[in-house]
Order: sequence, then structure tokens, then C-alpha cells
Amino acid sequence: MKIKEYRDEKLGESIFCAKHPSGLEIRVAPKLEYDSSYALFAVRFGSVDDYIGKEDGTYEKIPEGTAHFLEHKLFESEELDAFELFAKTGAQANAFTSFDYTAYLFKGSENIETSLGYLLDFVQSPYFTAETVQKEQGIIGQEIRMYQDLPDWEILFNLLKCLYKDNPVSIDIAGTQESIAKIDDKLLYSIYDTYYNPSNMILSIAGNVDPDAIFSQVSKAIKRKKKDVPERRFSPGSPKAVSGYIEEKLPVGKKMFMLGFKEDLKNPEVSLQEELASNVMLEALFGKSTPFFKKMLDDGLIEMDFGASLFNGYGYSVAIINGSADDPEKVVSLVKAEIKNAQKNGLDKAAVERAIKKMYGMSIRGFDSVGATANLQVNLYFSGYKPYAELEAIRKLNYKAVSERLSKLTEEGCALSVIIPG
Amino acid sequence: MFVLKSAAPGVRVISVPTDKFKTNIIEVSVAVPLDENAAANALLASLLTRTCKAYPDFSKLNAKLDELYGASLGSYVGKTGDAQVISFYVTCLDDRFSLDGESITKECLKLLAGMIFEPNIKNNSFGKEALATEKRLLVNSIKAELDDKQTYALKKCTELMCANEPYGRPETGTVEEVESVKMSEVYAAWKNLLKIGRFHIVAVGNFDVDEITGLFAGKFEKINREPCTIDTIFFKKGLHFKRGVEQFQMKQGKLVFGFRTGMENSNDNYYAEKVMVDIFGGGTYSKLFANVREKMSLAYYCSAKLIDSKGIVFVQSGIDTDKEKAVSTAIINQLDDMRTGKFDDETVAASKRALRERLTLSTPGSICSWYKSFILEDEIRTPEEIADGYDKVTKEEICEAAMKLSVDKIYMLEAVESEVESVED
Repeated sequence: MKIKEYRDEKLGESIFCAKHPSGLEIRVAPKLEYDSSYALFAVRFGSVDDYIGKEDGTYEKIPEGTAHFLEHKLFESEELDAFELFAKTGAQANAFTSFDYTAYLFKGSENIETSLGYLLDFVQSPYFTAETVQKEQGIIGQEIRMYQDLPDWEILFNLLKCLYKDNPVSIDIAGTQESIAKIDDKLLYSIYDTYYNPSNMILSIAGNVDPDAIFSQVSKAIKRKKKDVPERRFSPGSPKAVSGYIEEKLPVGKKMFMLGFKEDLKNPEVSLQEELASNVMLEALFGKSTPFFKKMLDDGLIEMDFGASLFNGYGYSVAIINGSADDPEKVVSLVKAEIKNAQKNGLDKAAVERAIKKMYGMSIRGFDSVGATANLQVNLYFSGYKPYAELEAIRKLNYKAVSERLSKLTEEGCALSVIIPG
Repeated sequence: MFVLKSAAPGVRVISVPTDKFKTNIIEVSVAVPLDENAAANALLASLLTRTCKAYPDFSKLNAKLDELYGASLGSYVGKTGDAQVISFYVTCLDDRFSLDGESITKECLKLLAGMIFEPNIKNNSFGKEALATEKRLLVNSIKAELDDKQTYALKKCTELMCANEPYGRPETGTVEEVESVKMSEVYAAWKNLLKIGRFHIVAVGNFDVDEITGLFAGKFEKINREPCTIDTIFFKKGLHFKRGVEQFQMKQGKLVFGFRTGMENSNDNYYAEKVMVDIFGGGTYSKLFANVREKMSLAYYCSAKLIDSKGIVFVQSGIDTDKEKAVSTAIINQLDDMRTGKFDDETVAASKRALRERLTLSTPGSICSWYKSFILEDEIRTPEEIADGYDKVTKEEICEAAMKLSVDKIYMLEAVESEVESVED
């Protein structure tokens, strides 16, 4: 196993990477002045993976929420479940499923080797029975309902349903009460066997650790798999939104809006450079230092929660502008006018420079946290990037690259989602 | 380790010097009794951070912060015991990482002090329009508390439980109180804060503690300080049980149990209370997690937390509305097990390990919050000192602490199903 050190001089840190013969990516970010460490064992299988690839090259639809269900069930084993194991070391264990991947993690300061052993072991030891699957349906059912009561969650999925047709990103990560009822132990085993393959996974750890010791421990614990992992599905879809407007009544204190511009993707993902450029562009247009923000605030049209950012991943990319407002339509028309004006006359150069500087500062500060450092590596790896790709991309950002992203805000790919108090 | 200095009467500076982080953070918190002035104080906190004398224009102030590599400067209001706590903070990138060798931290410190001591005022007024805007924003953010039903239910339980104590007041005042605040009251609130507030300044990062102390000592020099005293009421028992209820069209009911611990002050029986509450409903090894969630599949979350500054314990859970009785019974049954010692030594050990682990603070923000939490305390302690205290807690002490828990109030948000009202064009 060849170990390569990546170093960022300005940051004063290194990340060590290696590819295990099984195909597993291992990234270690030592931070010896810290007391704690944070490790993630992640698989490139998330809620956007709504099909299972068969050996004959065909794909079969799976119930919505399967990736998340599997995440819950992997914690169980025939003997001690994972939570009981981590209780022995005191480490805080958890897991999450995002649109794009599933990650199992722990944070701890003592007995890191033991905790890491538990993590590697439980993720590689599935144990599902009809009984335990059924028990979980009650718990996940409550989790789904909890999210459905969160207006921030509802408004996003309503928007995504307007923007995308037949794209799994518009489905709640945990699925629905009905869809999870269709999940059984057999399905979980076949998903596990197909996708939980080291060549589709990463082990990322940051903190008070010795890279050599980690590489050696991980290397010994990994079980190799023979089969190849099926390709992820991607269909570009239409550049047009399915519908321009959606509203829902929920018991909230004030009207909320979320305006989205979807990007017409030719490839499954926007590049890191494009993602960062979009975020700078949105900050330069709508950030707190813009005259636009001030005017809208003074005119009583927006609240301090007004903001904009890119929401992107495998098979989706949406520039989102959101907040709460009495008159969402008015806000939206002014937002669109501001975009048109920039498309015609260009972005404010000073605003772009400020936004880049801000992004650079925030990005460096992210390395303060062992959790953020380890998580960033998972994100970067699954999108095909090296350890410090983000910092390097920010340093290369310029006015031209940022301005080019303005053309992605199109009327045909635009939709508005509104939550009305009721 | 921390360094403690005094900048003026009732003005403490706690510094945690370190160059381990890329971020420097300084937070100036001030405690005053939580009373009818809460709304004026909350409005003041927003006005002071929106602009200042050096940057009277909101956009220019924010442009300056962006140029300082995205420094954030702001304020927020909370409560600790029966005190309202207003905090002003700045977090910024350490100078080592600036691209052109600019000094970021000094500039930020200057901005922060300017924000508190040199506001954007003319003739004792923050400006009529500025106040109107802040009232609108604050009223809307109070209304938006309804958006997160879990937090909303907790707030309502607190209000019901502490109706006759300052702690029952919302930390920002009510909508009506905010709307009726006059300009002269905001100005008076500023003067009052500087005169009577108990200041607690925490700095984590690359700071010179003498410089910070000197800076604030200078600012307070001309102020005739009369720091207030804050006494928090601790009720030994919940005496008048009541169940509050509200209905909303939503998917999941939210249940909150409010208990009194019998603590007589924030340090009373502290370690045993912490361990007891953690075994009852803290981590994944806790009674509530293991039973209400894992064994009975009644909830996704069911957890307990101790508010030591007030001697209160809350248990929160998201449930099906028609299962309230089953869940309540399960919670009380688990509490009974705590009282009678039906939990094993391994769980006690797991809880102590986890509590210690949670005290391994590894971000500038968490270290700052830790030291901030001592705002009403005479003695400031390090996480290590507290962690050692847990180890001495015995099983008997845990049972005794559980015996003293008494239910005071229950608050239930009942979910009522509605017809789906969704409009698409």
C-alpha cells in the first residue's frame, strides 16, 4: 500500500492517503495537538440510489428510504449492538444518510484503536432478521413524521418536486411510511452485498492519531470483495422545471419562501470549481454586504434569515434563495430583477472579491474541527477530489469564473416553493 | 487552562490562550435579572450589532467583516437561571492565515468593543426607523419559534412550569412587550446594562489577556459600576401538577415532562444529578433510549436533560398523539427503575465515560461556551475538574437523586391530521 502525503503549507497541515488493495480509500489527517479524534466509515450509497444494479447489468427499483433503513439496521448484530460496544470506550457513535452517501462515525478521545476496531467491524458485519426489520419500522416511522413537521425540510422537498421529475433527490431521505413497509431483510442483504464494497468506500479519520498505525490497523481489518460495484445511474432529465409554483399550509409563524434555479446538468455533478464559483456569485448578489440586502431589509420585505447558496450533489444542482417574508412574490420578482441586471451588466467586482476572501477564511476555519476535517474528506473523495482540492480551488477563483455561473440561473429551470401559516 | 482577570467591578475576563486553532473567538456576555426590561434589552442587543459609530451603515459594516476573511460579529439573548444573558461575540480567522499579512484579530476586537461602547446614536436615540426595523425582526423571530415544534413545546412547558418565576419569562420578552418598547427605554437599557450588568468576557485563541483586560478596563473607567446581584429561585418540589395542551395540524405529537430536582442551587448535588439524568435519558445506553425507543419502538427520540442553573429536568419525546399514555407510563416506569436501582454497574460506567468524553472540548466555540456557562458562578472550573467529579458518584447517590425528582408539569402538542392542502400550478 503506497502512502502519499498531501500538505498545505499555509494551513500547516498534512493529510495522508492510501488505496488499500481492496479498493478502500483511507485518509488520515493527524492533529496531534488535539485530544480527540473523529472517524467516518462511509459508503457511496445514499438516497439518490433508488435502484439496485443486478449482475446482468439491469437495474431494479428499490423502495424509497432503503439506504437510510440499512444505516439504522447495521448498528445491530447477533450479540452486542454497535451502541453497546461504543459504550465501553466512551466514544460517541452515530451515523447519517445523505442524498449521496451513508456514513458511520464516532468521536472519541481515549481508546481510539479499540473504537476504530468496533467501527470497522460493525460496518462489515451485517445482521438483519425479519423481526428486527419490523421493529425498526416503528422508530423510522416516527423519524419520518418528525421531519415532516419541520417546515425547512418540507419547503425544500416541495421545491425539489417542482424542479425534478423522476429524480430521487425529491424524495425524503428516510422514505415514506408506505415505502419503508416494503423493506425486508432480504433486500437489505442484497443492497449490502452489492454496494458495501471497500472499493465503494472510504475510511476518513482526523485528530490525535498516528497515520502509520491507522493504515496498518485498517489494512488488516478490511475484508475484500470480489464483485465490482454497479455504475451509478444518471439521466440528465429536462432543463425545464416540472411546475413553477407550490405552496403548503403548515402551522408556522410566518410565510416562508424558497426559490430555486436548477442547472441543466450534462454530467452527473457540477465540478468543485463550479460549485464554489456559484456560491461566491450568490453571495456577491445577495449577501449581507450588498446594497440589495440592505434595501430589502429597510423596505420590510425580508428578515435576517434571507440567504442564498448552491444545493448540489449527484444528479442535481440548484441555486437556492430563501427566507421568510410577508410577500414572497414581491421578494421573488425583485430577486429575479437583480439577477437579470447582473446578467446584463455584470457582477460587482468588489463584492466578488469580498465573497472569495470570506469563503477562504471560512474554509480555513473549517479545519479547526476534527469532525469537519474528516467529513470534508468523505465529500471530496466521493466526488473524485484530492485532500486540499477545495482550498486550492478557492485560491484559483476569479471574477470570470464566478461570472460564468450567472448564466445557470434560467427562467425555465426556476420554481418557487412557499409555506403558508395555517 | 484559563487565566482570570478583572477589568472593573463585576467585569471578569477569562482567557484561554492557545494557538492550536485557526479561529479566535471573544464573547462578551452580560447578565441582568430577567424581568420586564427583557424586551428592551433584546432590542438593544440587535441595534448594537446592526451598526456602530465607526460603521453607521449596515452594508459597510458587513463589507468590512467580509474583508476580514468572513469574520462574524453579532449578539444573541438567552437565559441562565433567573437571569437574562445578552452576549456579543466576534469570531475571526487568526492573523497567521491572512493572505497579505493583515491584522485581523485586533481589528475585530476593536469592532466588538466599539459595538458595545460606541453605538450609532444621536441625541440619545438609535433612530426611529432602526428601532422599527428591529421590532419587526424580533417580533417575527418570536413568531417563528412556532416553526420548530420540539423547541416550541419545551418553551411552553417552561412557561407553564415557571409561571411565577423569572425563568418563565421568554428571554426576548413577549410580542406585546417588544411592540410597546419606547426609544427612551432602549437608550436607558443600554446605560443600565453598562452600569449594573454582570460582565463575563471569554476569549479563546491567540489573544493577549492583558491587552483585552486593559481595553475593557479603559472602556469601563468612566462608568460608575454598580453590579447587580441575581438570585435564582429553586423549588424543591413540583406542587401543583398540571398538563398543558395545544393542538396543531401536524404529523407527530410532542410530549414534554418538566421535573423539579430538589437542587437548592446550581452546585447542589451537581455530579449525582448529572449522572442520574444521563443514565435516565442521556446517551444510547440510557433507560429512555433503550426502552422507549429500542425496545418499545414508541419514539425516534426520547431524552432527558438537566438545567442545572435552575434545578429542572426536562424529558422530551416525539410520539403518536394517541400513544401519550403509553409513553408517559413508560417514562415513569423508567424513572421508577432509576429510583430502585434497576440499572447495572456497566451502565453507570458507560455514563461516566460518556460524560467525561463530552467534556473533551475540541473547538474554540465549545471551549468558549463552557466558560461562558459560569456567568453566574463565583468559581470557574475547567472541564477536567468537572470530569473528575463524576467518577466519585455512587449508585446510591444516583438513586437518591432520582428519588428527589418530582413531576411538576406536562406539556403536550397534539397532532391533528388535516386534509392535505397543497396547491400546484
